[in-house]
Amino acid sequence: MSFLSLENVAKAYAGVPALRRVALTIEAGEIHALMGENGAGKSTLIKILAGVVAPDTADIRIDGKPTTIGSPHEAHRLGFRFIHQEFNVVPAISVAENIFMGRRYPLRAGVLVDWRALNATAGDALEKLGITHINPRQRMARLSPGDQMLVRLSSAFLSEPDAPARLYVMDEPTAALTRDESERLFRVLRQIRADGGSVLYVSHRLDEVMALCDRATVMRDGATVDTGRMADITHDDLVALMIGRKAGDAYPAAATTPTSGTALEVRDLAAGRLRSTSFSLRRGEILGIAGLSGSGQRELVRALFGDLPMRSGTVTLDGKPYRPFSPADAWKAGVAYVPRERRSEGLMLTRPIFENITLAQLRRQSLGGSFLTPRAEQRFATTLAADVRLRSTGPRQLAGQLSGGNQQKVVFAKALSGNPKLLLLDEPTRGVDVGAKFDIYTIIRDMTQKGMAVILVSSDLPELIGMCDRIAVMRDGAIAEIVPAKGLGEDDLLNRCYGRVAA
Amino acid sequence: MTIATLLRRYGTLIGFALILGFFWFNLPDTFMTARNWLNITQQLSMLMVVAAGMTIVMVMGDFDLSVGSAASLSGIVAGVLFAAGYPIWMTVGVALLGGLVGGAINGVLVSFIGILPFVATLAMLTILSGAAFVLSGGKTISGASIPADFSNFARGGIPLGDIGGVAVMLPNLTIVALVVVFAVWVLLEQTTFGRRLYAIGGNIEAAYLSGVAVRRLKLIAFALTGLSAAAAGLMYASRVASANPTQGSGLMLNAIAAVFLGMTMSEQGVPRILATVIGVLILGVLDNGLTQLSVDSYIRQVLVGAIILLAVAASSFSKRLRR
Repeated sequence: MSFLSLENVAKAYAGVPALRRVALTIEAGEIHALMGENGAGKSTLIKILAGVVAPDTADIRIDGKPTTIGSPHEAHRLGFRFIHQEFNVVPAISVAENIFMGRRYPLRAGVLVDWRALNATAGDALEKLGITHINPRQRMARLSPGDQMLVRLSSAFLSEPDAPARLYVMDEPTAALTRDESERLFRVLRQIRADGGSVLYVSHRLDEVMALCDRATVMRDGATVDTGRMADITHDDLVALMIGRKAGDAYPAAATTPTSGTALEVRDLAAGRLRSTSFSLRRGEILGIAGLSGSGQRELVRALFGDLPMRSGTVTLDGKPYRPFSPADAWKAGVAYVPRERRSEGLMLTRPIFENITLAQLRRQSLGGSFLTPRAEQRFATTLAADVRLRSTGPRQLAGQLSGGNQQKVVFAKALSGNPKLLLLDEPTRGVDVGAKFDIYTIIRDMTQKGMAVILVSSDLPELIGMCDRIAVMRDGAIAEIVPAKGLGEDDLLNRCYGRVAA
Repeated sequence: MTIATLLRRYGTLIGFALILGFFWFNLPDTFMTARNWLNITQQLSMLMVVAAGMTIVMVMGDFDLSVGSAASLSGIVAGVLFAAGYPIWMTVGVALLGGLVGGAINGVLVSFIGILPFVATLAMLTILSGAAFVLSGGKTISGASIPADFSNFARGGIPLGDIGGVAVMLPNLTIVALVVVFAVWVLLEQTTFGRRLYAIGGNIEAAYLSGVAVRRLKLIAFALTGLSAAAAGLMYASRVASANPTQGSGLMLNAIAAVFLGMTMSEQGVPRILATVIGVLILGVLDNGLTQLSVDSYIRQVLVGAIILLAVAASSFSKRLRR
């Protein structure tokens, strides 16, 4: 009998399925890897385990007994401990208080906090990870990001007699750790396994996963596709399972080769975490940006859009020097941007479609730059809406009433409203259904026919290979290499993202 | 359209109609008369101007707590300058300019320094109020130092002829309020400036990424709100022919309440200037009617507060039902 078994787990957000047919079993005394590309459904599954998200259907059994996880509190009582990807700490309070976040503080006389016991217990949890250089009384804000992550980790190892830990769920725990710190974490995890505890381990670092874990469950498109023993599986099999389908069919063909003439020239650009980066882009070309999340893709796009100050380097757009200090400068120079977070960065959900579409070109779509001409504006928006194949009840419909795919088309219509020379796309098809995806790909192709240059940041490898002319692979805040997309295999590209070139 | 939708859309208007009906029924001779209505518009003209200015910042999702003390200070500044013998045009100009500058300071604090509007404008409220007391020495400036031409403005108006044997006129203060409402309507509903403010209120990050100069617009919006507060302060000083360091203090809460009442009338809960006008009218009519019914002013306060709560609660409740 397994310690934990999940079957028939399904969850849809506003009708869009995030999880369907998910099954997962975890034994006592094993480290189990949960694998899959971004958007495969790992996070949703973890949120269900944590009691944060309520599944539409789920048969959850613990020690064979049917169980529900109604709240984070219940998950904790069941012995589940979570280390989340985005580590959330409260900088203003002490290390010990952060470790005890959400837990009951030890008390004296029933009411007063027993600070001595609190600090001692927190110290024990730190020591479990072999950490002796962090004082539990220190303020969280004074620690380095790596040390903050260690504190977060140790909070999972706080001993609690009322609700002993049985399952540790670790989502990218080593992302901010040094090699030594990671090794120390692995030793603790192996000790947990030896003591009969379980670990569900999520990481994009394949080598790490293969060395550490006993079994792996692979997810793709919201479903679990396979579970197997790590010893029986090769690195390449695992990658193939994660990627699944073949690329090619889902993308409109490029009709012509890129037109001549340089659209964008980037020389030694550095901004934020982005280290000195150089590349050039021809008119009508699509340059893909690949890389593990947080490798500098976002910084590159934000710097080119004027949202992140350029520290050094020069950029030339259509032969003219280009140095934007704000998104307004970028729009004026003919650079458009489709941001990653559609709802929080791309749209005003409570405003009509046409106001969303014309916002970036309001000066031109008005009388003398000052007075609104709503009728002309709506005609202009309607034309653009038709160009992007928007399905709506009209330009006055509220953006928030549209489906995810149609919302994204509104964002595209806005981006295309000024006939930009350069289009920056950050995960343009995330959370978009298959039909709208193809429409969006077609729009991008149409635009390149007219000579627009496109930079496409995506974690969807088939999308990069299917759409781009060349793909720049980013690692550690810089472009490591630029490869032609044609004939590139997904596993090859994934390996390049990890920094290992296939034999 | 279901009853629930009707109630959500028009609930506040229906409530307004019920209030009107109630007063009409209980005050058959005096309430629904041209004279009373012109009187109401004059009584609430100051609130109207401040609420119009408040609407501008609330469109962006911000608010300005300092309008009341800005109005008081502008009255005091005018009184001090009058006492020093400055001409009306210069006095009015300086007072209005002061409001504009004070509002701009709010704007700088909120948009460039990044202080929450609540904190920034609350501190400004205290500063302006203190300044009003310092300038006036804590006393009311009145009597001979206020020029007759200035105080006569509020008493004057455009004659509308005889209605029922009584001479009536459209008061100058009402005209000022109408002009301000019209100007704010043009600004918010007819210009790219207003559209961008609504964009900021809709999603500040998306607006910024779409090239909207968020900081500059916020600064201008706060400056205009300050200007409207100063104008209201001058109107008040003209009406009572004196200036008192606390005379604007009731304006701020009522202005915010009026905008909130107006917001209950919009599907998206967005402030609109014409809805704000209805909100101001509701508050003005309640005050006028309850006074005529000789309801004690403290009980009046309780009633007005309860009605605001009722309208806003009903509106947010019906929105929750829809989900």
